[in-house]
Amino acid sequence: MDLNDEELIRRVVEDGDQRAYAQLVRRYQSQLRFSLRQLCDGDQGLADDMAQEAFIKAYKALPAFRGDARFSTWLYRIAYNLVMSHKRKNAPEVNQDAVDRAQAEETVEESLQLGMARDLNSAMDSLSEAQRQAIHLCMQRGFSHEEAASIMKLPLGTVKSHVNRAKAKLRSLLQPWHEEVVNG
Amino acid sequence: MVNFEQRNTKGGTLSDVAIEGKDPQFDAWLSEQLQFDEPYLDDDGFCESVMAKLPAPSKQNERRASRVQYIAVLAASGIVAWQFPFGEVLSEAARQSISLYSLVGVGMLSSLVVMAGGIFAARR
Repeated sequence: MDLNDEELIRRVVEDGDQRAYAQLVRRYQSQLRFSLRQLCDGDQGLADDMAQEAFIKAYKALPAFRGDARFSTWLYRIAYNLVMSHKRKNAPEVNQDAVDRAQAEETVEESLQLGMARDLNSAMDSLSEAQRQAIHLCMQRGFSHEEAASIMKLPLGTVKSHVNRAKAKLRSLLQPWHEEVVNG
Repeated sequence: MVNFEQRNTKGGTLSDVAIEGKDPQFDAWLSEQLQFDEPYLDDDGFCESVMAKLPAPSKQNERRASRVQYIAVLAASGIVAWQFPFGEVLSEAARQSISLYSLVGVGMLSSLVVMAGGIFAARR
């Protein structure tokens, strides 16, 4: 039975039902891990560790979750904070092996991808990190500007500006692909 | 790369589209491409690993769940007791000269067995 997030959270908080929490983990693990891989510059091990820590932290804090935001927004906020805090603490250290490995894997994958996907990736790479995150949250994850601002801990206007500038840049880079699809 | 300024002919000035990002058709296409490009990451033991590291549920939650079960069993017992023809059983026992003490003893014992069974079933 597929229960909604609110019902699953109620079961976890009121009945201590850990199976309900397992359903939430299964529901969001792929999206969150994929998002964190981008945030961790392709370091998959670090991204998965951060995702795991975010789920555990969210579980412990669940009784304090007031439900004024969606669970996914709240979870992303926790995960985003964890990664940012980790990045601040470990700024000089870059796991070059992990990055190289991920990049090598990406290169193999990319060679198999269609041109549009490859161009989309390189267009996304041309954005600043904040722009990329704002576009990812708003256009890939479907969060509103307000939700993205709350996750990224940035003023709403800044997030809107990141999104608009990123879209303008992506539009200029990807317009030929878009027109090809539109014109058949 | 195609000249963006030349291509941008559909409604609105360049500044509207480029700066305010008002192009719903492009937005929808971009969003679709971003989502299409995203792989689904298999669980691969991730969920089990998270669940293994969660702290045990609080005792308070367990107590609350037990309380609900006890109330349910008591309510069920109450309904059975309400429907049970005690009068008829007592008069029949008197008619067959069964001692009142043994009857009460058997009644209490069977109630205990039923309640213990109910609690056990509820906890399962």
